[in-house]
Amino acid sequence: MEFGWDDEHSGYRTELVSFLNEELPDHWHGETAILGSEANTKYSRRFAGLLAERGWLTPHWPVDFGGFDASPWMLAVLGEELWSRGEPRGPQYMNANWIGPSIMANGTPEQQARYLPPISRGDVIWCQGFSEPDAGTDLASLRTRAERDGDVYIVNGTKIWTSYGDVAEHCYLLVRTNPDAESHRGITVLLVDMPTPGLQVSTIPGVVGDHSFNELIFTDVRIPVANRLGDENEGWTVVREALSYERVGSPRWARAAFMLNETIEVATADGRTIDPIAIEAIGIAKAACEAARVLSYRVIDERARNIPPSPNGNLARVAMVQAERLVAEACLAIDAGHTLTYRSPSNYQFRKSLAAGVAAGAYEVQLNLISRLHLGLPKG
Amino acid sequence: MDFNLNEDQSAVHDAMSTLLARHAGPLRLRELGGDEPTYDHELERHLEAAGFLDLAGHGSTNRLDAALVQEAISLALGTVATSSRLLIAPSLPEAIKGPVSVIAAGHRGPARFAADAVALIVIGDHEVRFVAPPPAPVERVVSRLGWPVGQLDDVPHGDVMIDVDPAEVLAWARIAIAIELVGAMRFATDMAVGYVTERKQFNRALGSFQAVQHGLAECAVAVEGARWLSLEAAHNGTPEAAAAALTHAIQATKVVFPRTHQYCGAMGFTQEFDLHLATMRVVALRAEGEALGRPGMALARQRWASLSS
Repeated sequence: MEFGWDDEHSGYRTELVSFLNEELPDHWHGETAILGSEANTKYSRRFAGLLAERGWLTPHWPVDFGGFDASPWMLAVLGEELWSRGEPRGPQYMNANWIGPSIMANGTPEQQARYLPPISRGDVIWCQGFSEPDAGTDLASLRTRAERDGDVYIVNGTKIWTSYGDVAEHCYLLVRTNPDAESHRGITVLLVDMPTPGLQVSTIPGVVGDHSFNELIFTDVRIPVANRLGDENEGWTVVREALSYERVGSPRWARAAFMLNETIEVATADGRTIDPIAIEAIGIAKAACEAARVLSYRVIDERARNIPPSPNGNLARVAMVQAERLVAEACLAIDAGHTLTYRSPSNYQFRKSLAAGVAAGAYEVQLNLISRLHLGLPKG
Repeated sequence: MDFNLNEDQSAVHDAMSTLLARHAGPLRLRELGGDEPTYDHELERHLEAAGFLDLAGHGSTNRLDAALVQEAISLALGTVATSSRLLIAPSLPEAIKGPVSVIAAGHRGPARFAADAVALIVIGDHEVRFVAPPPAPVERVVSRLGWPVGQLDDVPHGDVMIDVDPAEVLAWARIAIAIELVGAMRFATDMAVGYVTERKQFNRALGSFQAVQHGLAECAVAVEGARWLSLEAAHNGTPEAAAAALTHAIQATKVVFPRTHQYCGAMGFTQEFDLHLATMRVVALRAEGEALGRPGMALARQRWASLSS
């Protein structure tokens, strides 16, 4: 057991930090630094391109696909430093982290040739067509139907709460191809080009900041069978494998720590006094971010050793949610009345912390898994 | 970065487990007086003889191996003042033999191990003092919090330790308490998990109810977070990491203390049930940790200099 960084990874961090200091614009505060805002998504196209030029957008990809097989630790350093700045890759971190790798693992050579280069160039936005009005936390009960008709699937149904559905060029879509099968079976992944006839996208304004959701209504949308990822009815395996490490793939603790810092800096620059109650709250929140960090490192260590995913991922994810919430509390304690301003760091963080326990897997589901797999408590 | 024990650490861990199974644990604590115990000189002698109390070299910044030993002692409810010997002593010019009591400058009142200590270590803002022998006689205080406690009314000035960085000593004192808290909280959580697995109500195990499961899962997250943060702090030894580890360990007690008792129901109120042997210690350790300069505020001020003005 030891917790030091080797020269390769600390050297990479130094190089990355100086790149970020140089490249991120002077106005890299406020709205642009807020993941999900229009300004952030727009900027991500320029920024992801800059990263790609250095091979840093997809360093963990195999050499055959334009990466250099970087270690999970290098990817962790990259994620940590970028989320510590409000994630300038915007939605593209999803492409690089799991959509691309999922296409590598399951895609045909044609699919790989078509979809992977734009991802590794930092030039494309994907959305995830997962949740439905009646299938959220219980994702496997999804009902969007795809019926085979020759060499196309005809898709009917509704996807909802889809981030980036309004700007994405592609959708990683989960559909039901066998309505008679047990919930987890009978699901298939389709790679959908957007826009496409019969697909109607409408925005659902959100309350968690500038980030908005979308509803995707599919009416007799024809998707070529050639766009199916993996085998028919095997989609659950494909997506579970793709997302297995995603619980710590987004280091939300780093963004929470960033927002805490932003709030303190804005208050200090305004000449406001931060009282002892707020100072204590800051310490508690900062410690929670650190705990989430070290629990995430534990998962990355497992990944680096090719150990199959364990409940340590669930522990880390719960700790991240708690950190986001404690940071929101601290920001409110610091800002007090200034929280009344929309887009102030504390106003933003309070909203964002609402989503923390829902996005990327419900908090309560994580607790269920911890109690069963980590504590060994009996099933209900 | 490696979250698994290496060969040497595994060997120490196995040998420690054998020694502690024989000379520590809840039964041994009951022999010493349960929640009002006397100092376990015998356990300390065994640990000393086996060479487990001097694992970190003088001036070393990486004291992880020593922290792992202390965690095992705390998990086995050892009634010894080893955390200062294992984790603080390497920052001091002279070796510590025998129990010491660690206090913040200006402290008056009850202190853990004060009646058994061969010396006091007094941590101030600008200096660390060594008071040996401690003022005598130190009266014992009944705390019922699982530790031998003595009353310090009048602390002599003692000797200022030369070439000792008070910030460094304070950091290691914080890590020491954090590690002790982790051991005691692990004991408490394990006990509660065991109890709710066995105990049946409404014809099913209490631990099969989701409300209980979620409460204990949050205990596990709290303890694991505090544990790895404390071990990492013992590896890196920075004041900021130390303050973060203790801050988080103290926050974890706010989850673990009430919930482990809640889920053990009325059994948890009884002396015959071992839970209180760990949880009462947690209360004392938390109080001692807060007395070391409010670690939460200290962390915020270390990280953001603007908060100190």
